[in-house]
Amino acid sequence: MIEKICRDLAKQCRWFDIIHTSGSSIPIQFKNNRLHSVQEKENSGFGVRVNIKNRTGFSYTNSSGRLPQAAGRAVSMAPYGDEEIFDLPEQCSADFEPYGNTIDEFNIDREISNAESVIDLILSRFPQAVVDVGITKSSGSMRLINSQGLDASYRHSLYSAGISLTHVTEKGSKIDVWEGTSSTHCVDYVSLAERIIERTTLALAERGCASGKIPVLFTPKAVARLMGIVASGFNAKAVWKGISPFADKRDTKIFNEKMNIHDDPSVPGSPYSYPFDDEGVIAVRKPLIENGVICNFITDLKHAHKLNIKPLGNGSRGYASLPFPSFSNIEIDAGTEPVKAMLESINQGILIDQFIGLGQSNTLTGDISANLDLAFLIEKGEITGRVKDCMISDNLFSLLNGDIVLSEEREQVGSALVPYMLLTGVSYTGIFQ
Amino acid sequence: MDFGIDSVADKILSRIANVSGDYAEVRLSAGAGTTITLSGSEIDLFTSGDSVAGSVRILSRGTWTFVSFNNIEDTESFLKKGLSIASKIPAGTSTIRKTKAVAAQYATRCAVPLDKVGLDEKFELTKKYNGILGSHRNIQTTRSTYRDSQSRYIFLNTEGSDLRYDRSYCGISLASVARDGAVIQPFHESVSGYGGFEIVRGREAVAEKVVKTSADLLKAEPAPAGTHRVIVDPKLAGVFIHEAFGHLSEADFVYENPQMRDLMVLGKKFGPEDLNVYDDGTMNALAGFIPFDDEGIIPARTALIKSGVLSGRLHSRETSEKMNEEPTGNGRALNVMRQPLVRMTNTFIDRGPHDPEALFDSIGDGIYAVDVIGGQTNLEMFTFTSGYGYEIKNGKKGRMLKDIVLSGNVFHTMDSIGMIASDVQMFGGLGGCGKGGQSPLPVSFGGPHLLINNVLIGGKQ
Repeated sequence: MIEKICRDLAKQCRWFDIIHTSGSSIPIQFKNNRLHSVQEKENSGFGVRVNIKNRTGFSYTNSSGRLPQAAGRAVSMAPYGDEEIFDLPEQCSADFEPYGNTIDEFNIDREISNAESVIDLILSRFPQAVVDVGITKSSGSMRLINSQGLDASYRHSLYSAGISLTHVTEKGSKIDVWEGTSSTHCVDYVSLAERIIERTTLALAERGCASGKIPVLFTPKAVARLMGIVASGFNAKAVWKGISPFADKRDTKIFNEKMNIHDDPSVPGSPYSYPFDDEGVIAVRKPLIENGVICNFITDLKHAHKLNIKPLGNGSRGYASLPFPSFSNIEIDAGTEPVKAMLESINQGILIDQFIGLGQSNTLTGDISANLDLAFLIEKGEITGRVKDCMISDNLFSLLNGDIVLSEEREQVGSALVPYMLLTGVSYTGIFQ
Repeated sequence: MDFGIDSVADKILSRIANVSGDYAEVRLSAGAGTTITLSGSEIDLFTSGDSVAGSVRILSRGTWTFVSFNNIEDTESFLKKGLSIASKIPAGTSTIRKTKAVAAQYATRCAVPLDKVGLDEKFELTKKYNGILGSHRNIQTTRSTYRDSQSRYIFLNTEGSDLRYDRSYCGISLASVARDGAVIQPFHESVSGYGGFEIVRGREAVAEKVVKTSADLLKAEPAPAGTHRVIVDPKLAGVFIHEAFGHLSEADFVYENPQMRDLMVLGKKFGPEDLNVYDDGTMNALAGFIPFDDEGIIPARTALIKSGVLSGRLHSRETSEKMNEEPTGNGRALNVMRQPLVRMTNTFIDRGPHDPEALFDSIGDGIYAVDVIGGQTNLEMFTFTSGYGYEIKNGKKGRMLKDIVLSGNVFHTMDSIGMIASDVQMFGGLGGCGKGGQSPLPVSFGGPHLLINNVLIGGKQ
């Protein structure tokens, strides 16, 4: 049926494309230390984008039987659409697939028994704790067809595991710690449990820290959150609208020269990799920040044309939406200091792992303000307990242009590969001093 | 608008009655919607699409099985598949509250049905608001979103319940971004509810307020960091009660956690004598309205705090059974493809004894925090960001402030509520609440003006 629709659309449109996504997943959820549910999900859909007289119309459906109606709706919406005079790519191919063949070895019984042993491990150290574990296996495919003759597809797979612990201390304080991992194939995640035990142990004692400008060491998990705020300024849509703080800063140095960040859709084994983007553009590695200098914005075809920049494979969409610019894997270059030495260099400061409410401030200008969900006091180079009921407030962009130290160790946090980061003077306020 | 789901449901009805096991339910939906997003002079998105979906949830030997799909013609085989998975997975300890069968049909009352309004008219209205949003020389860009959906939703379970609901929802979200040099200042408002096109018509004043506020904020100064006495407006009071307290009253956080149960024991003092807090899914004009929850329970008004004392909490069938408390109709799912979780509906602080002016008369020096950008909590500590505010000197509103980020400890802050005014207002919008990866779930929240002592405001020192 899809071929007939293509023939019909070809007669009416300057160009069109059809995206078809389909997939299934099996999430297993442990809640409150026990198996709660096993799920099986199937979902698929079609998105039709047409360009008629330079105007773009779009519609979608999740039933292949109603694809002709969706195509008809897209055509009838086109006169209302935005003027788009870019062209679609003529060809692309899948040089690799973000698909782990061993994903098919996923076994519900084994996953349940693995999760139970991870929970037992945590409970053996904290018998009062409440642990949730979520494991998901998913796989699927995407196919893209367009009027320029492109017809390409690839398979993808994802295995993800997440653990979160809640522990209420004798004093009545609540400690929440979470960790997660993801891959294209099944992986062992017991190390996440060990890390959760370590962080919870450190959080049992509560300490205070005087308000003021203090040195702050951020874990990779915390750095990834901070970098999410920076990353939003690299979105070509924000640049085009003039609301990116980096809009007029291309080729300008605005961060410390130690800052090097890449977007890389070709990282092997990553579920965030893809051979071509959702508009059929071959996806390649690109620097975003090189030695503190803004290099590239990430873009879809529409904004590449508007900004006169080259599309490098960052157009993203599901079947029910038009493309928008999106990141793939983010890599932040490592530094040269071991984490241990960074910690030892701090006489009085804090280590931050988790925030509450970061990103609700006016982040367009780099302002950040957040309560600290999980943070620790550092005294004379050692972690001596948890700080809570406190917040940091500062301008992230100024901080990243000041003194920073990056660790030689890096950790994978979601789609980002991230080092620890030390900022020497961050504004910190404690509530009960 | 049913794409055949009623005939699928009618066939399943006889099948589900014979399902063995503790409990099973089938949910089906079919819907269509339109989204229009204009940004500056551009049309970001103008689409209308359709979708059908279904799911089967089974409780067998104490463990839940959930199967979701959009090929609803095969609902019966997905039910079989669910039963097959349920028979193989390990036994668990989940139990649920059983209720009597309910059979009913519901439909949103619409003055102007959405399918009787042409795409032209929806587009022109959005364009009109977008024009107002850009009507100031300092506006860098705007974003106006119109969204509507009409759907039919069917809920069936092994207790014999058969609930069918024709739902019509629409709303607008209006944002302006003002810029002066390096200062970039966004502001937005949103309006939504169950009904027809009448919900979004005649909202010029909302757009005018958005553009004026974002432009005015360019000249506002950052709030001074430190601990302050704060008056919060009804919208911020609503977000505060939703974020800081409402989530804490969701029973799934406490029902299998003895430590949390101790913290949230009914009868515990939780604020001043004048404080009364409710969650009420029956308020039918508001975004959190539900005729029945996604476990087939008819909602009720639940008193969460009465006269400053913890008096109730929000339940799903499972938490209700485990805690031996009555179900409240708060088992809600984002859509039929997701499992129900304990969620809020319309949550608010009820009116207090004071005239709003009396709060200003008694505060002395402090901060008046107005409107809200967002909020987050870990159930003990919270952060939320006010849209803007004013310095208060000697009870008088002074210079405009921005970047007011309020942080605190839920338990201390509830206890620090000093005065409660009588001017309750409710708020909703196209956004909503997020939990367990299900966002945005439509909810509303509200309250009167509150005076709170000892609120930590972040900022540069």
